[in-house]
Formats: sequence, C-alpha cells, structure tokens
Amino acid sequence: MFLTRSEYDRGVNTFSPEGRLFQVEYAIEAIKLGSTAIGIATSEGVILAVEKRITSPLMEPTTVEKIVEVDKHIGCAVSGLMADSRTMIDRARVECQNHWFIYNEKMTVESAAQAVSNLAIQFGDSDDDGSAMSRPFGVAILFAGIDEKGPQLFHMDPSGTFVQFDAKAIGSGSEGAQQSLQEVYHKSMTLKEATTSALTILKQVMEEKLNETNIEVMTMTPGAFFHMFSKAELQKIVENLPNAREEAPKPRSDSGATPSIKPAAISSG
Amino acid sequence: MAFMTKGDWYNSQAFWQNGPAPGAIYNFPGNTAQSESNGFQRSQAPITTGTSVLGLHYKDGVVIAADVLGSYGSLAKYRNCERLMKVNDNIILGAGGDFADFQYIKNIIEQKILEEECLDDGFSLKPKSLHCWLTRVMYNRRSKFDPFWNNFIIAGMDDDKPFMGTVDKLGTAYADPVITTGYGAYMATPLLRKAYEDNKEMTKEEALQHIHKSMQVLFYRDARSFPKYHVGIINKDGIEIKGPLTLESNWEVANM
Amino acid sequence: MAMLNEYSGRNLPDYEFEAVKKVHFSPYADNGGSVIALAGDDFCIIAGDTRLSSGFSIYTREQQKLFPLSNTTVLGCSGCWCDTLTLTRILSARMQMYKHEHHKEMSTPAAAQMLSTMLYYKRFFPYYVSNMLAGLDENGKGCVYSYDPIGHCERSNYRAGGSAGALLQPLLDNQVGYKNQEGVDPTPLSQERALSIIKDVFISAAERDIYTGDGISIKIITKDGVKNESFSLRKD
Repeated sequence: MFLTRSEYDRGVNTFSPEGRLFQVEYAIEAIKLGSTAIGIATSEGVILAVEKRITSPLMEPTTVEKIVEVDKHIGCAVSGLMADSRTMIDRARVECQNHWFIYNEKMTVESAAQAVSNLAIQFGDSDDDGSAMSRPFGVAILFAGIDEKGPQLFHMDPSGTFVQFDAKAIGSGSEGAQQSLQEVYHKSMTLKEATTSALTILKQVMEEKLNETNIEVMTMTPGAFFHMFSKAELQKIVENLPNAREEAPKPRSDSGATPSIKPAAISSG
Repeated sequence: MAFMTKGDWYNSQAFWQNGPAPGAIYNFPGNTAQSESNGFQRSQAPITTGTSVLGLHYKDGVVIAADVLGSYGSLAKYRNCERLMKVNDNIILGAGGDFADFQYIKNIIEQKILEEECLDDGFSLKPKSLHCWLTRVMYNRRSKFDPFWNNFIIAGMDDDKPFMGTVDKLGTAYADPVITTGYGAYMATPLLRKAYEDNKEMTKEEALQHIHKSMQVLFYRDARSFPKYHVGIINKDGIEIKGPLTLESNWEVANM
Repeated sequence: MAMLNEYSGRNLPDYEFEAVKKVHFSPYADNGGSVIALAGDDFCIIAGDTRLSSGFSIYTREQQKLFPLSNTTVLGCSGCWCDTLTLTRILSARMQMYKHEHHKEMSTPAAAQMLSTMLYYKRFFPYYVSNMLAGLDENGKGCVYSYDPIGHCERSNYRAGGSAGALLQPLLDNQVGYKNQEGVDPTPLSQERALSIIKDVFISAAERDIYTGDGISIKIITKDGVKNESFSLRKD
C-alpha cells in the first residue's frame, strides 16, 4: 500500500510510513555479518569470548583485536565494522578517564555504555553547531565490567540502545548462540563453568575449527579485573573442552537484503 | 557530559573543560561575547551617582526609601532623579550608585516584565526571583571586569511574607530585615537595626517614621544627599511609591 | 573661539571642579566568616558562623554558610561571598546532573574531587573562597576535605578555615589531634566532645576575630542524615 522500502531506506533521518528507520535497521543487520562474540556474567565475574576470522594463513592473528580494555574495570567485545568500533572504544576510554579525573572514582559500566551510546546516535543531519555522522556505526558491543553493583554485562547495538544481560551473544552466530546460552545459563554459574560454556557454544557456531589462535577470551573479576587469556591459557582450555557433537555451521541469519555478500569481502570481521 | 555543546559531540571533553563557566548555564542581557579588539574601555568609575538606599521590614510589609539627587562628583547636578522603581504589583527596586547603569537595568527589567505580562498566565515575577536574577546579572558583569556600578535593594512580598534583599556591583547578595547601602550603611544601619530589634512587629507608620528620621540624619551628614526623597511601601495590598517628600532641617548652628 | 583654543586638549571650563574620580575596581571582596569541620568514626560535624561582613560593616547577622549538597555531604564556604554564591549554585547543579547521568547520589570523595577540578578550572580567575567539604566516605567514616582557592585538596580529620582559620587550627591540633602534649592518650572523638569543642572554639574566635561572630550553625552528618543545630555568639 505504501511506497516500497527502497524509497525510505536512503536517509538516516527519514522514517518510513510504518515508523521505521531502515538505515538503522540495516546497521543492526550489518553486525550479523560480524564475528561471533559471547559474554556471560556470573556472580564471580564476567567472561567474554570472541572468534577471530583468520581469512588467510598469511594474516597475523594477533593483530585482530576484538576484545579490548577500556579501563581496568571495563572490557569490551566488539562485532561488526572494526574501524567504527575503534572510534567507539576510544570514546569509552576517554570518558572513563575523564570520569576518574573529575570524580576520582571508577565509572560504572552503565555510565560507560551511556557515554558510548551518546556518540552512537550522533548520525543524521548536520547543522550549524556541528556536522553529524553520515550513517550509524555498524558495531555491536558487549561491555563487561565490575563496579559497585558487581559484575555486569551490557549489550549495545548500532541504534545506541543498551541493555543489561546475564548472557549475550552478538555477531553472525548470535541467534544460535543466544539460544544455547539461554539453555545453559543459570544464576549460580561459576566463572569456570561460564568459560567452558561460552567456548563450547562458540565452537558450535564457528565456521572454522576453534583453536587457540582464532579466539580471544577475557575475564573480568573483582580481584584481577581485566585479564586477557594468553595463548598458553587458551590452549589449556581448548584442550579440555567437552567434545560436543560436531554441528554443521549454522547458515548466517540474513536480512534478505544482503545475503550474497561474504563477510570477508567487506572489512567486517 | 551534559554540558557539551553540539559541536563537541565528536570530540569528548578535554579534561579541563569541566562544567559550565560562570554564566554559561544561563543567558542574560549583556552576556554575549564582546570582541576584545582595539582598546575597548570598560566603565572604570561611576559618573552620575545616587547615594544611600534604606529599607526596613515592618509587621506586614517593607518600606524602602531613596532621595532624588543625581550627583556629578561633588556637584549636586540632577535634583529630581527617582531611584525607586515599581517592578510589578509586588516588587520595588531601589538603586544607588551609577544612575546610567540603573536606567539601563531598569529598561531591561521593564522589558522583562512586559514580556511576562504578554503571557497573561496569571503568574508574576517574585522578589526572590528578581533578587536571584539580578545577582547573576551583576556577577556576570563583574566577572568581565565591566561591572554595573550599583547597589540594589529589592523589596517585595514573597508568598505573603515580606522579603528584602540586596545586590552590589560584585554580585554580593543577601537578604535581611534591615538593609542600607552607601553612607546609610554607616549612619542609618544602627538606627534602623535598633528600631527593628526593639519592635519587630512595628506598624507601617512607625516604620515610615524610622525611615524618615534616618533620611534626615543622612541629610545632615552625607554631603551627597538631598532633602527630598521617595518612599516605597509594599504589603499584601500592593505597592505605593510616595514622594518626593521633603525633609525639614535646621541649619541655625551653621550661622556664625 | 579663542577660549576654546585655549582649552583645547583640556577639560572644558564647565567641568573644572572636583568631578568624577577614577575608582579602582576589584572583582573580589573579603566577606569574612569561619568554618570548622571535625570527622569522627561514624559522623562528621561542620559548623560555620553566620556573620556576613565587609570591612567594619556587618551586612547581616544571619547568613548560612553551610550548603548541603547531598544526604551525606555538606560544603562550608567563607571568603568572597559573590564567588561563594556562584560556586555553590554551580555545584548543586552538578550534583543534580550527576544524579541524572549516573543514577546515583554523588559520594563525598567524588564531590571532593569534582570541587577540586572545578576550582582549578578557574585557576587564572579563581573563586576566592575557602572551602571545606564534610561528609561520610564510602565506608561510612567521617571525612573532611579542605581546599585552597585554586583547588588544592587535602583530606583530614579536623580543619578550621576562613578568617579565623589560622587562630583555630592550632587549637584543634591540640584538642582534637592531641598534638604538642606530653603523656596524653588519644581517645577517639565522640560526637558530644566534637560539639563542645566546636562551641568553645567559636566563642574564642569571636573574641579575637571581628569577621567571626553573631552565631554559628552546625550540621551533624551521620548515616541517618543531617541534623541541624545553632548557637549564639557575641554580636559586636
């Protein structure tokens, strides 16, 4: 009855007659091309696990950084357009330091997410006061951190919406992974259990065979705060993973709009 | 940070840019940035000046008084300057110091009141609000080293209670039942404070009597004063500005 | 014409009398006032006199100099009153904004740090205010932060500031800090003792300092909130 979608999907500042912002929705679709990242919050701490897509044997795997430290007490896992994610992480880092500078206290995880969200929604029309971004960021972020409220996990999508989760998966394998997380998650999970579960699920949804070079794992605990697993630590965990039945890689959830584009073809990863 | 302007959206704040500078969270007249080009001269001194303003609480209102002289240095130049201003139906503003600065502010306040009346919403400015607003205006100007060279007294009824407050050229503000400015601070304060301490529930007539007496004392000793003054009375029934009233004086002692 | 030439470059005859004098303008005033804060294990007391003055004039005898910023934080100010008014207004606006941004009340140590940065931000046109921040820290222990006008901040357990600060600090050193005494055994400060020390100390200050007097207002901060007290001083 209305005009076709294509007439309303050009500008980020034009609602469709049904009240949708297609560019923002497409941006959310874009992260479904990204690599899978999983986060689980337990009472002992938070764990983040991500896959790294090593698209060529000539690639140096350590330069693919998908889990980053924002502050001692906040770590982030990202999925989607990596270049975009750098800008957002940069903002998160500055805001955390600024908060510490002004208030001499750690920024809460929620406030950090809020600060990044403020940046994420600055797309649309430029005006006198400053130019806006031409498009939304194509990034989803998992914030894992510890503040006075304890271990916390927040998820933020390209629309800037952020929500707290007990366990959350983002990226290409997120649909299947989220389902699995829902099955395995329980409140009294230990961090060790969570790590095993996260990696088991990651293993199921990854296209490549999971090994110590194509994943990154980080724990956020009250004692050690941000701790990135070393290659040796990863190796140990990978070896001890329960041998789950080999699942065929799930087909990528697609929006119907860009099913043919291979993730590796754009700089998404 | 919420104080970011739109232009800062991309760049997070610099560490030192913390919070608003004084004057940045509100917008007042004369608050626009001036170009500091070629030798801008700020008002370094008051020119035509008014002397003391006196104010006193009584049982159900406030009385306030100021004489009508505009001095040019030691010259008693303008002999009919009214320094009390009816702001609205429950505020009187009295001003000492530079008369030009007072007229400028008077204009702005009149404009403000006019705009408020145009809203026709039944609300009117309260004396405490005007006091606070004037404090900000005065502080902003002193922060630019370009002060309004005035002492103001704001008198009025705030929620059926008498209110009297003052602001000086720095933005120093306070409220008190007895306020005097200029020479009055030295000569009338003791008289009025004593009168108030003795009887906090004095009648309007008594209050007017005390004010009259103080104006007379000031006329005898303050060389920049004048024997004609206006008095403003404010209570729940509204305001009244009377005058110029004449001060009787006896200078026989001055004869050889 | 001849007359005009004679006077060219000088004042016109009409204006030749003692006219307008050039007056120096200072954006600051010293409005006096003293503030004292004492911290105990589970409380903090802050007190300030209520005299607002300038030179030999007393502007008002009833001026509150203590500003509650939250349920556990009170700021005491003395010095340039116009700066105090401005600073405290901006501070309470910042407290409110913090609450909205971070969904929690600002803690006393956080407020202390923020005040320091706010003061330093005006390093080259400072707020001429001697600040004292009293409250409870994150463990519920009393804390006192004192400042210089450009943002130097120090946490201590007792501090006197303002016009009688230099008179009172040694007294507190002796009575609260048990300094310069031999053979004393320091007992932890009780609320009652803190209160009586504050009253004694202000009575002494009012005797020697003309900028301190008229009365004091006291705020006692505990985990249950802030309790107000007041006390009269000499009025001359």
